[in-house]
Amino acid sequence: MSEAVIARPVRVPSRGFGRRLRDWIGNPWGKPRFLVLVTWVYVISSIAPVIIAVQFSFNDGRSQTAWQGFGGGRWYWGDPVNSVWHDPALQHALFQSLKLAGLDMLIATPLGVLLALGLARWRGRMANASNFLMLFPLVTPEIVMGVSLSLAFLNVFTFIEPSTTAQVLGHVTFSLSYVVVIVRGRLFSIGRQYEEAAADLGATPWETLRLVLLPLLMPAIFSSLMIVFAISIDDFVISQWLSCGADCDTIPIRIYSATRAAPLPAINALASIMVYFTLGAIGISYLVYRLMTRGERPKGGDATRGMVSQMGAFDV
Amino acid sequence: MQNHDAGVSGILEALRTGRISRRQAFKALAAVGFGGALAPALSRLAAAEDALMGPGGIPLARPDKPVTLPLWEDPIKSGMEPETDGTFTVFNYADYIDKALVDEFGKQHKVKTQITTFDSMDQCITRLATHAVRADVTNITPDRLAQAVAGKLIKPVNPDYVPNLKKNVWPSLHSPFYDQESRYTVPYTVYTTGIGWRNDKVKEDIPNLSNPWSIFWNSQAYKGYVGVLDDSREALVLAMLYRGNYDINTEDPAAIDKALEDLKALIPICNPKVNITEYQTLPEGTSWLHQCWSGDLLGGVFSYMPEDTDPSVLSYWSAPIGKGPIQNDCWAISATTKKPVLAHMWLNYIVDNTVATDNFLNFNGYQPPMNSITPEQLVAQGRIPANLKTAVMTAADFGPGALQEMTLTPKGQALWQSAYAKFVSGA
Amino acid sequence: MREHSGIYPRWLWQAFALPGVVWLILLFLVPFYAVIGVAFGGVDPIFMIPVPAWNPLDWNAESVIRTLLGFLPGGDYWVVFLRTTVYVALALAICLLVGYPVAYYISRHARRTKSVLLALLVLPFWVSYLMRMLAWVNLFAPGGYVNDFLAWSHILPDPPDWLNGNPVSVILALVYGYIPYLILPLLAALDRIDKSLLEAARDLGASPSSAFLHVTLPLSMTGVLGASVIIALPMFGDYYTPNIISGSPTTSMLGNQIDLFFHGGPQPSIGASLTLILSLFLAVLMTYYMYSVARATREVRDE
Repeated sequence: MSEAVIARPVRVPSRGFGRRLRDWIGNPWGKPRFLVLVTWVYVISSIAPVIIAVQFSFNDGRSQTAWQGFGGGRWYWGDPVNSVWHDPALQHALFQSLKLAGLDMLIATPLGVLLALGLARWRGRMANASNFLMLFPLVTPEIVMGVSLSLAFLNVFTFIEPSTTAQVLGHVTFSLSYVVVIVRGRLFSIGRQYEEAAADLGATPWETLRLVLLPLLMPAIFSSLMIVFAISIDDFVISQWLSCGADCDTIPIRIYSATRAAPLPAINALASIMVYFTLGAIGISYLVYRLMTRGERPKGGDATRGMVSQMGAFDV
Repeated sequence: MQNHDAGVSGILEALRTGRISRRQAFKALAAVGFGGALAPALSRLAAAEDALMGPGGIPLARPDKPVTLPLWEDPIKSGMEPETDGTFTVFNYADYIDKALVDEFGKQHKVKTQITTFDSMDQCITRLATHAVRADVTNITPDRLAQAVAGKLIKPVNPDYVPNLKKNVWPSLHSPFYDQESRYTVPYTVYTTGIGWRNDKVKEDIPNLSNPWSIFWNSQAYKGYVGVLDDSREALVLAMLYRGNYDINTEDPAAIDKALEDLKALIPICNPKVNITEYQTLPEGTSWLHQCWSGDLLGGVFSYMPEDTDPSVLSYWSAPIGKGPIQNDCWAISATTKKPVLAHMWLNYIVDNTVATDNFLNFNGYQPPMNSITPEQLVAQGRIPANLKTAVMTAADFGPGALQEMTLTPKGQALWQSAYAKFVSGA
Repeated sequence: MREHSGIYPRWLWQAFALPGVVWLILLFLVPFYAVIGVAFGGVDPIFMIPVPAWNPLDWNAESVIRTLLGFLPGGDYWVVFLRTTVYVALALAICLLVGYPVAYYISRHARRTKSVLLALLVLPFWVSYLMRMLAWVNLFAPGGYVNDFLAWSHILPDPPDWLNGNPVSVILALVYGYIPYLILPLLAALDRIDKSLLEAARDLGASPSSAFLHVTLPLSMTGVLGASVIIALPMFGDYYTPNIISGSPTTSMLGNQIDLFFHGGPQPSIGASLTLILSLFLAVLMTYYMYSVARATREVRDE
C-alpha cells in the first residue's frame, strides 16, 4: 500500500528561454518584478551620469559631451596648461577642499560624539531644548545658514573674516548634527548593559567610559568621520558664502563657476579625483567597519547593511 | 539756540545726503529763519551745480560734471626711497593681472608679492572697510571713488612718483572727470559695453541696422543662444539705449520701469541667459549673441578660442561716443599700506608701456589706455583679426560727451537693484 | 534599569553636551539673530554695509513689511515664490514616486543582492552634488549622449535643448540631486517596521497589496514625512541648481533673489528679510519634523 503512495521523482521537461522569460514576467507575484525593475533602473540611472563624467575626464579633446578618443592622463597631468597637475588654481581648490574636510573631521567628530553622549543621557527640559537645537541645522536650507554665518562674521564676530577659518567654522556647525545622530543611533543599539556590567565588576566611571563605551562606539565614530568627510567635500553654499576669494575656493566652487561658463574636461578630471578619494574612503571604512564589528554580526548578517543603517539612522 | 542749530544741521545733512533737494533745503531754512545767514554755505553746495550728493558730501561725478576729490590727508613727500622687505599685497579681481608681472615688480624692488582677490566691487569695498584685507594697492572703479575717499580707504597720490601717467596714458585720462588732477587714481583698463556675436551664426548686419540694439528684440531665431550681462546697471542700460534714452545714470522711477518692461519683453522673445561668461561661451559657440564687454571679447580671442575655430567668426559692435557706455577702472593706494612709496612705484609700473601691453596682450585682453596701443597696430601685428578693430578704443572715445555708468545715490541704487531683481525673478 | 544610572556622576552628561551646545548657540542661533538684526536694521551710509539693530526697540520694520507685502499676489516676489513652491512640490512628488518603491524593494524583498544594491544606492550620496550636476549637464548638453540617443532611436528626432531655460530640466535635476537624501532615511524607516506585523496581516487573510496598503504604508508614513522634510526644506533655498542647469530668469527660484540682494547693493536688509520670511515659512514644517523626531527619540530613550 505505502509503495503506491511514494511519489516517483518527476522529471520536469526543460523549458526554452522564451518560455522561462514569459513565466518570469507573468509571475503572479507581480509587485516584486515591477519593484525590481524600478530599483535597477533607478540605481543605474543615478550612477551612469557619474561614470560618464569620469569617462569624459579621459577625453582626448576639449569637449565634455563628444567623445574624441581616449586621451589618457591629458587632463590629469598631461596638458601643460590646463590639466589638474599644471593648473595651480585647480590644485589649490583640491587642497583647500581636503584641508577643510580634514579640519572638519578633526573638530566636528569629537565635539559631536560628546554632544551625542550628553544629549542621549541627559534628562530634563534643557536636554529637550538642546536636542531641538541640534536638529535644526539638519533641516535648515543652506542659503539660510550661509547668509546668517556671513552676517554674523561681518557684524558680531568681526575678528573672523571670510577665510578658511570661517569656512571651517561653518562646516563644523552643520556637520555636528550628522555626527550626533549617527553616534546616538549606535548608542541606542548598544544599550546600557555593557557599562552596567563593567560597573558591577568594579570599574570606575572613567574606566568604563574609556575601556567599554568608547571601543563600542568606534564603528559609529568611524562612520561619522567618513560622513563628515563626504559632506564637507560636497559642501558648496557655505564654502562660497564664507570664501575669501580665489584662495579659498573649493572644488565644488570651481565646478560651479566652470559649469556656468564653458568648462574643459579638466574639471571632470578634478571632480573624478574627488570621486576616487571618496571611493577609497568608503572602501577603507567598509573594511574597517567589518573588522570592528566582527564579534557583533549575527550569523548571516551583513556589514554593509549595518553600516547603511548607521548612516541612515538619522530619522524617525 | 541749540535747537535751531540742530534743525539747521539736520537740514544741511539731509541736503548733503540727497534726501531733499536744494529748493526744499532753502524753503526749510527760510522757515527756520536762517536763509540769509547761511547763503554762503548753501552756495558752496550750489557750486556743485545741482550735482547729486554722494557719501561724505562728495558730489557724484558725471562726464559733464567733473569732480575734484577732497584730500583727507596730504600725499607723501617727494623723493623718498621705496620700502623693501615684507610682502606687497595687490588686491583685485581674480585673473585680472598677470602674476608674472606682479612677481617681476617684487623682484625689482626686493619684496615678496601676493595677489588677494575679490569677486565684486562690493566685496572689495566691504573687505577694505572692515579691514578684512590689508592691501597695499587696490583695483577700484570710478563709481566707488566717492565711497572710498569719504571712508578714507585710499590715499592721495603724489604725482612726482608717477611720471608714466603723463608720458604714456591718453591725455583725456590725465585729469578724468571722476578724479580731477588724478589725485587718487591711475587708470588701468578701458572697455566699452556693446554687442558681441558669432557672425557665422547670426546673419544680420548688426552695425548697419538703424538701431543695432534692436537685434536683441528681434532675435527669435536665436532663442536660447542669446545673453545679457549679469549686472544690474548694464542690463537695464541695454534696454534704455534701445529706446534711445541716453541718461544712463537716471534715478527716475518711470525711466527705470520702462527699461524693466523692455527687458522683461526679451524673455518670451529669446529667453536670454543672464551671465558674464560670454568671453568663453561666444568662442565656444554655446552663445551666439551676447551683450558684451570689449575686453571680454578680446580676451576670448586671445585665450579661449577652441583649436578648430578661427577668431574672425567673432564680431563686436559698440555705439559711437555718447551713445553707448565706455568704462574704465583704476588702481589706487590703500590707506592701510605700510609701503606708500612702493605703492606709488606700483602705480607708475602699471602704466609703463611694456608692462601694460604685456598684461593686455598676454593675459587679460582688457585694453589699457596707452598712447602706444592703436587698433591698426594690433591688426598689423596679427594679434586681432581685422573685423575686431571695433573692440579697441582710442583716446577720442573718452571725453565730456561720453556715457559712463557712475555712482548713484542710495535711493537710485535701490531702484535699479529692485528693478533688476524683478527681471531676474522671471516675473 | 534606571537604578544603574548611578554609574556616572550626574553632571557628566551635561558637561559632555556643553561644548557642542555652546558651539551651536554661538554659530547657529546668534547668526540667525544677526539675520533678524539686519532685516530690521539699517545700512551704513558710506559703505553700504548692513548695520544690524540688536535691540528690538530700535527695529525698523519698513524693509520687512515691504518684503512681506511683496509675497502677496502681484507683488515683487509672488511669481518666484509660486514657482519655487511648484518646483519643490513636483520634485518631491517624483522623488517619492521613484524613491519609495526603491526603498521598499531593498528593505523588504532583496535578498541576495541586498548588500550590492545598498552599496550602489549609497554611492551617489558620496559623490559631490555639484559633480552629479556637472554629469547631468554633460549628458543633456546639445551634443551629449541623451540627445544623441533620442535622435538615433527616433523617439524625438529633433531633441529639444534641455539646458536653455527649460523648467522640466530644472525639476528633473532637483530630483536627481536630492533623491539619494530621500531614499536612505526612507530605507532606514522601512527597515524598522516589524516584519511580524506584516506576517500577522497575511495570516489573517490579507492579500499582498492589501497588507501593503493597510499595514506597511501607514507604518511608514512618519518615515516618509521625515524624509520628505529632509529634502523639501533645503530644496526651497536652492539657487545653484537653476543657475547651473539653465541660466535663464524663467526658472529662477527664491534662493536666487536672496543671493542677488546679498551680493552687493544698498539693500541687504531686503535680502535678510527674504531669508527671514523663508525661514518662518519653513519653520512650520521644521517644527513638526523636529517635534516628531524628538518624541520618537524620547520614546526609544525611555526604553
